[in-house]
Amino acid sequence: MLSSNIRTDKKAMTVTSGPRDQSAMHQELCGWLHDVATLRSKSAFSELFKWFAPRIKQFGIKQFNNEAQALELVQETMTNIWRKSHLYKRERGAPTTWMYSIMRNMSFDMLRKIQTQREDTISDDIWPMENMLVSEDVDNFEDHLENKNIKTMLATLPENQKQVIIGLYFQQATQEQLAKQLNLPVGTVKSRLRLALNKLRNQLGESND
Amino acid sequence: MIKHHPSQSLLLAFSRGQLPASLSIAVSAHTDNCSECMHQVLALQESSALFLDEPDTEFEQWHDMSMIDAITSDESEMLATKSQASSVNIKGTEYTLPKSLSSVQLSSWMKLGKLARAKVDLNEGEVHANLLHIESGGTIPQHTHKGFEVTVLLAGEFHDENGSYVPGDFIWLNESNTHSPQTTEGCLCLTVANDALHFTQGLSMALNPIGKLIY
Repeated sequence: MLSSNIRTDKKAMTVTSGPRDQSAMHQELCGWLHDVATLRSKSAFSELFKWFAPRIKQFGIKQFNNEAQALELVQETMTNIWRKSHLYKRERGAPTTWMYSIMRNMSFDMLRKIQTQREDTISDDIWPMENMLVSEDVDNFEDHLENKNIKTMLATLPENQKQVIIGLYFQQATQEQLAKQLNLPVGTVKSRLRLALNKLRNQLGESND
Repeated sequence: MIKHHPSQSLLLAFSRGQLPASLSIAVSAHTDNCSECMHQVLALQESSALFLDEPDTEFEQWHDMSMIDAITSDESEMLATKSQASSVNIKGTEYTLPKSLSSVQLSSWMKLGKLARAKVDLNEGEVHANLLHIESGGTIPQHTHKGFEVTVLLAGEFHDENGSYVPGDFIWLNESNTHSPQTTEGCLCLTVANDALHFTQGLSMALNPIGKLIY
């Protein structure tokens, strides 16, 4: 019973999900990044830029409390994405994680330059980009799972619900900690948890009853 | 087995690049040895990256497209670089240093009895990072820390009143902790502190200058 659910869940996910679904966004970002890397496509880069630049700027303003430096972070990060896109490996994680890591590294080196007047770049030694590891989401928490089916069922949840379940049940964060970690209101964590549990319960119910 | 880990809030700040370089290097020297904390950091990184696409957040529309042309006019690609771990030789023993130290300058070694230390040159004001080597049979007299002191054991072993430590252990101490570490076989540590050690007992109070040396 479960196994037939599993085989179709990828399809079901794209059918039921809305336009802002993360897996759709994920596909689009992957496509753009691929075109930048293999074709040096400027139009694909423009798309990536339009998506990512406002996000970098927002992150930069939080980090530096200064708009000019936030814009410098946009420039530095997007330059690195353009020039390192061939180093991105799809199987090593989501494009957002890769781009986030570049932004974080750039921001670290910039902060260091501002605070200590040192121009050294040590971020790539602290967080190596070239052999970037990924947590493989649930795979690493395998030991904690009594039943491998739970893992398969988790895969059917939308990314943001999965994240809440993993945070609360596998990393054992409290709802408040998780909300803080994800920068979300506690209410959002609670409602995602409710949605996720309902979905999991339905699936379990089908096979247990 | 590693028993001493950075706190959750430290790991989160680390994954976001918000810690000073000295502490970031210390956390990374720990995660090199601790797959549990490494996974935590990667998962936090993935969560932070997901938050970039949080549907509830409104982002401004980007109008100025001149930056795109400026960036794409440079056609050259960057090559992959790999950090090469460097090594130090202290009194005949060769130690491989954490990769996070590979682009950082070390001062020359200052030696005093069984202790030797080299400053990690990061220029971070009151926060100082050092490599500290204690020869076999060496002890640091009982002391406390005026601020905080992080010790990451890189090689060898040491023990104090609270137990014994293995490479990778990340030990965070503050004013309320007093200890006198000693090592049987010798050890190499990375320490990060924001004030000098303060010796607390009898004769060794006369040693407070050593505290300055180690700091």
